Amino acid sequence: MNFQSRVDDADSGNFAAPSGPIEQVRYACALGALASVIAIEGAIPITHCGPGCATKQFQALSSISGYQGGEFHVPSTNIGNKEVIFGGADRLDELITSTLRVMEAELYVVQSGCVPGLVGDDVANLVNGYQRRGVPIVFAETLGYKGNNYTGHETIVRAILDQYVAKQAGPLPQTRKGLVNVWAALPYQNPFWRGDLTEIRRVLEGIGLEVNILFGPASRGLEEWRAVPSAQLNIVLSPWLGLSVARRLEAVYNQPVLHVPAIPIGARATGAFLRQVGEAVGVETADVEAFIAREERDYYRYLRDFAHFYAGCTSQYRLPSEINVVADSAYALAIAKFFVGDLGLNPGVIVITENPPENERDSIRAAFRNLAPDIDGDPVFEADGYRARDLIVRKPRVGEFPILFGSTWEAATADEIGAPLVEISYPATDEVVIVRSYVGYRGALQLLERTYTTVVRQSTEENPEAAAL
Amino acid sequence: MAINLRTTQAETREQRLGTITQWEGRAADLARDSAFTYGCGRDCGSGGRRLCELSSPYSQASMCAEQIAVTNATIIKDTVVIQHAPIGCASSQSSTSRYSRDLAARRGWKPEDPKSICTNLGEQDMVFGGVERLADTIRQAFERHRPRVIFVATSCATGIIGDDVDGTARELEDELGIPIVPMHCEGFKSRHWSSGWDVIEHGILRRLVPNRPTEKRDDLLNVIHLGGPDVFSPLVNPLGLQVNLVMGGNSLERLADLSIATATVTMCFVLSYLATGLEQQYGVPEIRAPLPYGLDATDNWLRDIARVTKREPLVEAVIAAERARIAPELARLRTALKGKKGFVAAGAAFAHGLIANLRELGVEIEDAFSYHHDPSTDSGDPQQDSLGHLVEASGDIENFTVSPDQHFQAHAALKRANPDFVVCRHSGTMAILAGRLGIPVLPIFYSNDGLGYEGLITVGRGILRVLPRRRFYEDVAAHSRFPYQKWWLEETNPYALEPENVA
Repeated sequence: MNFQSRVDDADSGNFAAPSGPIEQVRYACALGALASVIAIEGAIPITHCGPGCATKQFQALSSISGYQGGEFHVPSTNIGNKEVIFGGADRLDELITSTLRVMEAELYVVQSGCVPGLVGDDVANLVNGYQRRGVPIVFAETLGYKGNNYTGHETIVRAILDQYVAKQAGPLPQTRKGLVNVWAALPYQNPFWRGDLTEIRRVLEGIGLEVNILFGPASRGLEEWRAVPSAQLNIVLSPWLGLSVARRLEAVYNQPVLHVPAIPIGARATGAFLRQVGEAVGVETADVEAFIAREERDYYRYLRDFAHFYAGCTSQYRLPSEINVVADSAYALAIAKFFVGDLGLNPGVIVITENPPENERDSIRAAFRNLAPDIDGDPVFEADGYRARDLIVRKPRVGEFPILFGSTWEAATADEIGAPLVEISYPATDEVVIVRSYVGYRGALQLLERTYTTVVRQSTEENPEAAAL
Repeated sequence: MAINLRTTQAETREQRLGTITQWEGRAADLARDSAFTYGCGRDCGSGGRRLCELSSPYSQASMCAEQIAVTNATIIKDTVVIQHAPIGCASSQSSTSRYSRDLAARRGWKPEDPKSICTNLGEQDMVFGGVERLADTIRQAFERHRPRVIFVATSCATGIIGDDVDGTARELEDELGIPIVPMHCEGFKSRHWSSGWDVIEHGILRRLVPNRPTEKRDDLLNVIHLGGPDVFSPLVNPLGLQVNLVMGGNSLERLADLSIATATVTMCFVLSYLATGLEQQYGVPEIRAPLPYGLDATDNWLRDIARVTKREPLVEAVIAAERARIAPELARLRTALKGKKGFVAAGAAFAHGLIANLRELGVEIEDAFSYHHDPSTDSGDPQQDSLGHLVEASGDIENFTVSPDQHFQAHAALKRANPDFVVCRHSGTMAILAGRLGIPVLPIFYSNDGLGYEGLITVGRGILRVLPRRRFYEDVAAHSRFPYQKWWLEETNPYALEPENVA
């Protein structure tokens, strides 16, 4: 097998910390990708970093954002003075050995943070030794100053594919007809990732596919990862995240890539997505159409009844006419498409917060064209919350009722422009999320429920005079 | 040993107090082996060296001093906190902000996001240094928010690359004309996160407490607390004292008044650096009576405040009135909790206080978990030996585990204790663990909940509210498991991994 390149991270070289300070932080550092490891059932991260690093990242991504929970009892070297001065490789060695004694996992992912990067611990070599002894362990260099949890996610995914999946014993994997890998939703960063991946799996299975969804409760864990090379297709459901992984898989296993920048929300987008996938994999058109018809029957019954509210309460509750979004590119695009394309709102300010690699930005901008026929969105890349607020507040608005989809950070901004705020992006500290999804058929309806419940409450609680009209 | 305020860096707890983070045994032995009981009083140097600290080859992610320092600087009003760090250190901003808004609601302040900014260091900065980015960030912080004070927190990364944070702060201070207070809180420098309290208190003492010798107020009592509702005013107002509540969120005016107060009390000796410093620098006496957990301790604490502030004639009436006020409800709680077995997990003096509370409520405590242990306090006064007092007043604790919030050790300790409920601080590990093991848990988010006479009622009622949740927790416990090896799932000795070290 030629899938041997190790942590070369050709693509994460694209990452550069944006110049200038960041207020209202909207992502974690590369080490924060430990959340992606936790999202894989049977995998445990082993972190080589300072005493607060791992806890901070997970607390930020999970505990306070959506109160998502997750198995966080992560081994860590909790680096102290001694390791900074004399090097920490011995301590990490001791930690890995004791982890194997105490913890039970199918896969261990060693992640290094800032300190070992700066003092020069040779972690790769150390982990290599364990690998030679047959321990299912991989190394991902996730130095905090070298990337964020998006690029870190790609780093850990590549590490698992290179050092674990590709090293499985046995004959070369045969392609399994109808099996697809899905690369979508950054675990924990997107507070709704669990529900979203469940819905994506459901609709793909609906047209007769087998799915490696890879992360979260809807996944069968490492069994799915080991089957990645057997898939017929890699579906990347994001403007850029996961693309480098899929391209690598294409090069190594000759698997084609289907890149769909916008996660489908609603019947139109989901139907189109399923037809695209069906065609790429060669599913019988009749099977695809039969599933779509069944789903649309349900979906449009609900939408028919929702139309009573959407028409009848238009003035009573000042139903929004302009959508503003502060989110990562994946959700910003998906939600803008749905509300502009399907609900008939006008695009307002769209701020993309995850600092995507420079070389992906043109294609992200392109994805925002034609949100509805001839209506383009014009996204701005801005990781700093202070400037994001400025962009939204300063936009001239004549006659529009704005709504804001963003994070908890946007609460003050929403107040300033008199908009209801729907928390859809990290950090969502005022939402408790379990299984809610905002994508596909069912998620779209839940998104409408949440959105317009928020609108009604805001309208009656904060604008009593408008509600009285 | 005097607190050294000449340098910008606070000495760590390990250096000053001999703080340890790993120990296991009887509480009486730990108290005996700590410095106080060796006759060391004031000026005997840092104690605790006789304590035989354990170690463990296995460890899990803990917490760092930077988080404590930054959180508690962030919630001071009219300031901006700059985290001079790669972005990950600043990912705590969202939880700090949530905390700040919650705190504001409980204190009747306008809830708004506190201001914190990360210099957002990248690989280039690791190579060439980050002081220019820092200077630029300080300027932007000033432009954006016009703060009255800017804190600059260091990080592991800037500590290692050696950025001159003090020099940059001084330069920008001259340029902008407001105090810029460095906080040296590199996570790797101290083995315990509570050193972060010393860092922020060090910065406050050095820069934000002006000497105002002519303005002394004999009715102003400094109260240093961890954060939460003001439970102090109702206790000391009847003595004719006003509360100057600091730390845990306050205004710069509160800090500026610290030097003119008549005395200082600390709600947890883990925070006593500031109180000792105020006594040393400004002669504001530190009340050293054991903390007000339980009836007798609260009586004596009030008496000590009255003595130091010269209000002795008033105090007995206050004590009698308070005791009478809570007596019926206390009796009800004692009946309801009789025979129940509790487990306490918190940090040092705070844990000792909660144990005293529960015992006063009639709960049996044979097992406890402390996130660190300070054999001494900065005053060196044996009165502040909270563990010694606890053992003396209410008896030994058979299984006393010191561990820096280690999940695997807490798992073993809880297996061994098998309590009816857990009361804990730092909900991240312990509360979730207890719940997942099927044990009702009362996490104390606002640490003032257990204080004074009312604290007995607050905690007692809290426990009664969570006990019925056993139904939920047991259901979850029966349907999930932790990914430990079978032998560790059954282990009841938190330090079993290195049995040869157990004394």
